[in-house]
This record gives sequence, C-alpha cells and structure tokens, in this order.
Amino acid sequence: FVRWSPIVGRFAVGSGARLLSICYFDPEHNWWVSTHIKKPIRTTILCVDWHPSNHLIAVGSCDFKCRIFSAALKETNDKPETSGWMPKLSKFATPLAEFSTQGWVHSVKFSPSGERLAWVSHDASINIVHMDNHESVIRSLTPSLPLLTVVWASEESVVCGGHNNFPSLYNIIGGTSLSGGARLDVKEKKAGGGMSAMARFQQLDRTGDDSKGSSLDTTHQNCIVELRIMKASGATCSQFSSIGMDGKLVMWNLDALATSISGLKI
Amino acid sequence: MSKNVNSTQFRTVDVDAYDEDNYEDDNREVESVGAAEVTERANQVRGLLNQLKSKEALKIALQNPPVGNKDASLKEQNYETVLSVLKSFKAADIDGAVSELDMTEVDVLMKYLYKGFTCSPDKAANLLQWHEKVVAKGGLGSIVRVMVDRKGI
Repeated sequence: FVRWSPIVGRFAVGSGARLLSICYFDPEHNWWVSTHIKKPIRTTILCVDWHPSNHLIAVGSCDFKCRIFSAALKETNDKPETSGWMPKLSKFATPLAEFSTQGWVHSVKFSPSGERLAWVSHDASINIVHMDNHESVIRSLTPSLPLLTVVWASEESVVCGGHNNFPSLYNIIGGTSLSGGARLDVKEKKAGGGMSAMARFQQLDRTGDDSKGSSLDTTHQNCIVELRIMKASGATCSQFSSIGMDGKLVMWNLDALATSISGLKI
Repeated sequence: MSKNVNSTQFRTVDVDAYDEDNYEDDNREVESVGAAEVTERANQVRGLLNQLKSKEALKIALQNPPVGNKDASLKEQNYETVLSVLKSFKAADIDGAVSELDMTEVDVLMKYLYKGFTCSPDKAANLLQWHEKVVAKGGLGSIVRVMVDRKGI
C-alpha cells in the first residue's frame, strides 16, 4: 500500500513485511532514502493515510488496530507543530495513538482538516475519533456486510463502500454519534416487462431456469474496492468515484444526489 | 538408491515457536465478568421468567457476557441462562422482543444463537425462528461480527 504525502516530497509504503517505510529524496546521493517504522507493528499493514500537515501518519493493520505515528523527519527539515494528535513534539516513529476494533482495518482516513480520523474494519463497523479526545471513539455497527473503503465527504460526513456493493453516506451528529447510512445508490425500477420467447428458451437451455436473470439491483455488481474524491470545493466533496471488483468505475455526483434523495445532508 | 537420513525427527519440530517475529494474539484477559455476577444474573432471569416478564429477562440475560473468560463453565452457565429465556418466548412475541434491543444486544444475541446452533442442534428450530428476526434487525453485519469475534462468548 503506497501513498504520497499531501505536501509532496515523500511517500509511505506499508506492506506485509510488517513495517512502514517513509521515503524521501536525498539530492546529495540522488536517491530515495527510506526510514522504517517497525516497533509496535507486528502484522501486515493494510492501509495508510497521511495527515494534511505531512507530519503524522495513520496505519491500519491486520492485528485489528489502527495506529498513528509521528512522521516528522529531521533530514528534510520538518517543523512539526503540536496538535491534538501530538501533544508534545515527538521524534520520528513515535506511536501517538492506538485504537482497536474486532476485525482487520481495511481503510483509514484523516478528515480534510486533520482533526478527525475515520476507519472501517472487517467487523462491519465504522469508527471515528476526534483528536482532542482519544477515548471516545464513535463506533457505528452497520447492518450490512463489511466495508472496505472510506472517504470524507466533508468535515462532518463520510462516504463508505465495501462488500455491500453501494456507497453510503454517514453524518456525524453532535460530535457523538453517526447517523444511519443513506444509501447513495438509488434503485431504479427496470422498465420493460418480460423477456422475448427466444431469450426465455435460451436461458432455460443454459441455466435450467427461465426467470429473469441474476443481476443485482445496485450499480456495482460486486464489492466496492476503493472510493476516491474527484472534485471537492474546499472541504466538501462534490463528486467521487468508485471502483469495484466487477470491473466498473462509477462516478457519483454528490451534489445531484443530495437534491434527489430527500433528507440527505452532506 | 541412496539411503535416507536416519532420523526424521526434524519434521516434528515446531518452527513457529522459534520465530522471534511471530505474531501472538492479544491474550490479555479483558476485565471479565466474575462468577458471582453470572450466578446473580441467572437468578434474576429465573425470577423474571417466573413472573412471565420475558422481555426484561431477555435484556438482562444479554448484559455483560463473559467474553474471553478462561473459565468455560462460567460461559456455559451464562449460555444456559440465555437459552432458558429464548425457550420461554412464544413465536409471535419474538418480533416485539427483538425490536426493543439495541445494536450491541442484538450482536450478543446473535453470538448466542450461533453458539446454540453448534452446541444444541436439537433446539435448532426455535433458534432459527429467532435468527430470522434478529437478522431482520441486525442485518448481515451482525452475523459478520459473530464470525469475526475471536474471544468466544
């Protein structure tokens, strides 16, 4: 899993080798140098996200934990500031926070301002924590199959997708709870009635069953693997795209959906 | 043909034990529920069932399960408590009872249902009725959480 940092200059690599490498360019040797964060991580790293300030990095791994490390490097003259995540200036690779869930952490993301961290895990839950209060993690147990990816649509809402085949939007209410996921994939009633006689017999021949066909009523026919923001005005996302195991790349227009689905608030 | 090495004892060595980087599960015992609390809960539940207050009995039975506790008999006891409550419900009442549970309780109930499927297959019919209603409430996510849970309930 590889990610460029938001303020370009370095990238992070997380892998099954149980360590996180932060790599930066060394002009002296004309070479990209990597430094490792190894200590507390003991399992495969599944996802990595940089904090907007470039100094912190969040890691989700297979030991059911999501951790935040300081990624400020002396070699590149980083001047980190203290924040809710890092109350005092820490050296590189200091673990700053650790959160547990009951399943593999599939995706982790910092909010646009960096104040909140959201992650989804294999126990079908979405977790959000604010930097000022590490103890209170907002945990929402979803009624659907596990989610694989999460992105922030604004400071107060996240869009997630995964094995349930459709993206859904969750809002943070009052800083303490998540509202139920609004399904962003509106089912359209397929107009047009039966199959032609020939198609019917063909299907009877092929599958022994002359019922309609077996496509799901969601846009994606298989799980959503990743969501990415396409267009964002400031901190609020207006369009995002999703790719799925069915091979489709779908672009979603959040603004249009907001007006068409009543009660949807970004 | 060349003679094989005399001893094949090396095949029986557990290589993982020598691996320094070997991952060990978090074996910390979570503050687990003590025996006293489990017995007290069993009594409370029995009392409520005698008074025919099944819904309250269900809620109490699902509180604070002895998760990850090393003592298997404790878990058995709690399991029997929950089972007795589930038996006492009439088919028509299950719906109402499930709708009153919150998400954590739904998860715990689901875990007990699956434990029931494995431990007492003779009660499967009753458990299946419950399962249908619980899935309607908790969705597939609650089943996923049962599968993913490493510390047995």
